[in-house]
Amino acid sequence: MSVKYVPVQWNKNKWYYNFFMVAGVAGFLFLFLYVSPQLLSHEKSINPQVHNARAFGACAFLMLSIILCIGPLARLDKRFLPLLYNRRHFGVMTAFVALTHFGYILDWYFAFSKSSKYETLIFSNTSYGQIVGFPFEAFGLIALVSLLILATTSHDFWLKFLTAPVWKRIHYLIYVAYISVAAHISLGILQDQQNHAFTAIFLVAALTVISLHVIAFLHERKSGDPKAQSDTDGWVRVCEASEIPEARAKIAVLPNGDRVAVFRMDNKLSAISNACAHQNGPLGEGKILRCLVTCPWHGFQYDVRSGRSPAPFTEIIPTYKIAVRDNVVLVDPNANPPGTYVEPVEVPA
Amino acid sequence: MKKDTTPFFVGYLKPAKKLRSFLLAVGVGLALLLTTFGIVIGGTQDDPGYGSFRFDYGPQTVSGVVEMLPYPILHVTDGNERVPAGETLMLTAGGKTGVAQRAARFDGKKVKATGVVLERGALNMLQLRGGKRGLDAIDGEEATAPTPEPLGKWKLAGEICDGKCLAGAMRPGRGLAHKACAALCLIGDIPAVFVSTKPVEGADFLMVLGKDGEALPKAAYDYIAQYISVEGDITRHGNLLVFTIDPGTIEVLE
Repeated sequence: MSVKYVPVQWNKNKWYYNFFMVAGVAGFLFLFLYVSPQLLSHEKSINPQVHNARAFGACAFLMLSIILCIGPLARLDKRFLPLLYNRRHFGVMTAFVALTHFGYILDWYFAFSKSSKYETLIFSNTSYGQIVGFPFEAFGLIALVSLLILATTSHDFWLKFLTAPVWKRIHYLIYVAYISVAAHISLGILQDQQNHAFTAIFLVAALTVISLHVIAFLHERKSGDPKAQSDTDGWVRVCEASEIPEARAKIAVLPNGDRVAVFRMDNKLSAISNACAHQNGPLGEGKILRCLVTCPWHGFQYDVRSGRSPAPFTEIIPTYKIAVRDNVVLVDPNANPPGTYVEPVEVPA
Repeated sequence: MKKDTTPFFVGYLKPAKKLRSFLLAVGVGLALLLTTFGIVIGGTQDDPGYGSFRFDYGPQTVSGVVEMLPYPILHVTDGNERVPAGETLMLTAGGKTGVAQRAARFDGKKVKATGVVLERGALNMLQLRGGKRGLDAIDGEEATAPTPEPLGKWKLAGEICDGKCLAGAMRPGRGLAHKACAALCLIGDIPAVFVSTKPVEGADFLMVLGKDGEALPKAAYDYIAQYISVEGDITRHGNLLVFTIDPGTIEVLE
């Protein structure tokens, strides 16, 4: 949380996160670039430009695969949520690695002719009507442009400027990027392989990404947030008061599709919107720390009674009227304007 | 009331002890996984072939007769230790540019050629220096190109690519991942080459032309770098085989 925009709000956890990320990427590139040539018994070595392009390309693909595994892993096991926390740095670094791959390719395969290398990228292979021999570079370009858009708009300034729903939709481009990368690899380097080690790694990585998404989807369908049941006077039933642990919440889906999170703090219940004002993170999966609901994604905080971030922060979210009858928690599904104070309702311990 | 003891992570706070060891294991595991993939992928790349620029020979100067096919070739008459007399060289300029225009006025004439040799087995190419330093007529000396020897009709399986990358300007210099580069070289008038899966008269590489003896027809461009079969006539020019293909007979092979 911040009251002004800074390039990066560093903290210890981000430093640790980036340390492991950079260590992995540096380890990959170092071994690929400087150690693997000594293992290859080629009479004539692969051109350094091609070798470098392959190193950065393969690295970008694996980084993208890891990034796409983080979301479903965090949905399946909350212990992976910290990996989500600084995922943007991972994404920006992936974009730079992919850009380096593009640079090597452009300056090698598309350079040295009388035309501009940007023009040759477009016209040198125009076999768009076939699968084998298709200009797979086009898919690489789509992926790169997508990654650059994601990296450029990753900062909180763009999140606030575009609003969380629009920003999130734009960031679904990550899937466009991944599908394009998979097509780029499948129609490109995989068509030429004699040794299939990379083919196997590519398939395992892609299948892991797909499987985790399917498993997480099925898991959420099976044990996802329950629908609030209609009650009298237009109110809806969320759960029994005893089901809500201290400092935690129960989430329910309202008739209009929005989600409400009912929190217990000091044996008093309050209901707020489940969507964090920052990135629409699931507040109901958060926890009350020092009297403030804390988002599990990036730690944005709100007063559970008013939906307001503590001063000097200015984020506000909708609240809901709440009542308890025969130990059943009832909520008025019509949200109050963001930041509206609602008196908490006392319940037995 | 239920109790919830699940560790809760907040980015700007110190993680719970239970979570710290888990996150450390995940961080170390991912870094090691990436590092391992680096050596596995890097260490299992295919051999790019044995062609290369022979910068180690230094610039080579030879004399011979230019023949325009229309790709220019040089039948060496006065060679040296590296490039002996009787050798047939394909000619090219620096980068992805051929020398067809530059060499056309020397067709059938004796010339002095200087440049860097590219070698890949029986495939030899000379990348000429610029201007007259690279290619110039030798006035007053007569020489004739060897008489072409027809070798009949053939159906070959293999791949069309550009002669320069294949000869070693790029390693790897063939295959589908190299298709755009090969097409760019061919657009730039670099001689087209057919890499046959089986040797023809001892040669794996043949210069490839259209059926009327023109440069590689545009109809064949979609098949560059693909595994194909194609029919045509083979003629020996010096020690270079030339395959004039009919693009209508191209079949893509699995």
